[in-house]
Amino acid sequence: MSTDVEDLLREGMERFTADLRAPAGLTCQIARRRRRRRLALCSVSGAAAALTAGAVALAVVVLPSQQRSGVELTADVVKRVSSALTAADPGDIAQMSVTTSSASPYGGKTTTTTAEEWSYGDEWRSVTYSSPGHPLYDEGYTASAGSSVYTLVNYSTRSWTKRPGLGRPAAAIPFSTLPASRGCRPAIGAFPLLYKFGLPGMGLPASSLPSTVARSLRTAVSCGTLTVAGRQTVDGVEAIKLTSRAGSPISETIWVSPGTYLPVRVVVRSASGAAGAPGAPAVQQTADITWLPPTAQNLAKLTVPIPAGFREVSLSAVAAPTFKQISSALLPRPRAFCLMPAVNACGNPPFPVGGPPLGSGYR
Amino acid sequence: MAADRSTAELERFLTERADHLLRTAVLLAGNREAGEDLLQTAVERLLRRWGRIDGDPEGYVRRTLCNLAIDGYRRAGRWRQKERLLRTELRPPQDETGDVDLRDALVRLLVQLPARQRAVLVLRYWEQLTDAEAAAVLGCSEGTVKSSGSRGLARLRELADGWNDTAAMSGRNGKRS
Repeated sequence: MSTDVEDLLREGMERFTADLRAPAGLTCQIARRRRRRRLALCSVSGAAAALTAGAVALAVVVLPSQQRSGVELTADVVKRVSSALTAADPGDIAQMSVTTSSASPYGGKTTTTTAEEWSYGDEWRSVTYSSPGHPLYDEGYTASAGSSVYTLVNYSTRSWTKRPGLGRPAAAIPFSTLPASRGCRPAIGAFPLLYKFGLPGMGLPASSLPSTVARSLRTAVSCGTLTVAGRQTVDGVEAIKLTSRAGSPISETIWVSPGTYLPVRVVVRSASGAAGAPGAPAVQQTADITWLPPTAQNLAKLTVPIPAGFREVSLSAVAAPTFKQISSALLPRPRAFCLMPAVNACGNPPFPVGGPPLGSGYR
Repeated sequence: MAADRSTAELERFLTERADHLLRTAVLLAGNREAGEDLLQTAVERLLRRWGRIDGDPEGYVRRTLCNLAIDGYRRAGRWRQKERLLRTELRPPQDETGDVDLRDALVRLLVQLPARQRAVLVLRYWEQLTDAEAAAVLGCSEGTVKSSGSRGLARLRELADGWNDTAAMSGRNGKRS
C-alpha cells in the first residue's frame, strides 16, 4: 500500500497540473509593474515635498484627512526603503565613510574620527583612522565554507591577530517582538563607532555585536519613528529625507535614493548626557553609504590585509597597548572586544554561566 | 562569485522552466490561483537578484517557492495585494462526483497537510529530489525531511483510507439504489 500511495501521489501531481501553462512574457509583465510602482511613488514623493514646503501655510487649516495622507506617504516610503534593504541584504555591499565628532559636556576640544566601513551579509570590515590617511585599526569578520574568522590589525603597535568564531554580527531581532525601547532603536546600531562608545539605553545587548548595516537600518526605518521631510540634494543627487521626531535625545536623519530607496546618508546625533548618562559626550555621526555590487573587486574590500613587517600576537596583546595609549574614552575600541569576557574592555559584565547568548556570535 | 547574467538569459530561463515552476507552485499552494501568486512573488524576487544569483536560478526559485509556502505568506494576505499577472489555461475543475479517482483525491488531500510536510512531498515526489537535496532546499536537516515526509505520507494514507471507505460505501449505496 505504501508504494501505491507514493506512486499514486506522483501520478496525481502530474495529472493535476498537466494543463498548467505560464504565460509568455512573464518577465516583461513583472518588470513593467515594478516600473509603474516606482513612478507612482516618485510622483507621490514629489507632491509630498511641495506639501512640506507649504506646511506652515496649511498648518492653520490642516484637516484630519490631510494629516492622514501624510502618514500614508511616510508609510509608503518606509515600506519601499524596508523592501530595498531586504533585497540588499546580502545582495549588495554597503560601503560607508563614517565621520564621528564628539564634544565633551565639560568643555575641551571636539574629537573627530573617521572610518571606512564595508558590510556584506554577516561579513564586515572597519578601518578606523586617527587622522586622514593614518589607520589606527583595521578589523573585519569573514566567513566561508563553514568557518569564520575575526582579524584585527593595530597600526600603532604594528601587530595583528586572527581569532576564529569571533566578530559575527548579531542576528536580526524582529522589532515587532520587542518592546519599543529595545526594538525601535535608532540607526545608531548600524555604525560601530557610536556603538563602541557604549552609549547606554541603545537597546543593544552588551554581549552582542551590532547587526549588519542593512538589518540595522531596516529596523531603524521600520519602527515608525521616522517621517518624510521632503527632498534634499545629497552630493549633487536628489534624495528623500526621513527624520526622527523632535525632542528625542538621539535624533537621526536618513536620506534615501528615490530611485533605489536605499539609504545614501545617515546622520545620528546624541545630545550631551543623552539617555540618562551624565557626562556622556555629545556625538554626531555621519555615514555616507554607497551600495556596491558583489564583484570580486568589491568583495576583496572585506578582507583585512596584513601589512608586511607586522607581527602576530594574541588578541588581548594586539589591543591592550592601545587602551593604555588612549586615555580618552572617546576614542573607539575594536568592535569585537566588547564580546570578550576575559578582557571586558567595554566595562560590561561577563557572560553568565553557560557562556554568551546564542546568536551573539561568540559561540 | 555571482554570475553576470543578462535579461535575455532570464527570458530564456523562464521560457524553458516557467511551466514546470508554475506546476510546483500550484502543488505547494494547493490551488491554481494561490500557485500563480506564489510564482509571481518568487519571480519578482528572482528579477531583483538576477544579476547576483550564483548557481542554478531554478534552485533559487524553488527555494523561494518553498519558503514562501511554508512561511504562510499567503495567510498574511500579502498575495492578495498583488496584481494578478499570470493567466493560465488550466482545465476547469471536473465534476468531483464523476471522474475523480484516488490519484486526484491524494493531491487534493495534500492541501490538508501542514505546509512543511506538503513541501517535502512535493520536492520528493514531484521534483524527484533526494532527501539530502530536499533538505538543502528547505534549509533543514535530512532527518527533518525524512520525518516530515514519513508523517505526510502516513497522514495521506489515513486520508486515503477514509476516502476509499467513503467511495466504497457510496458505491454500495449506489448499487442498492
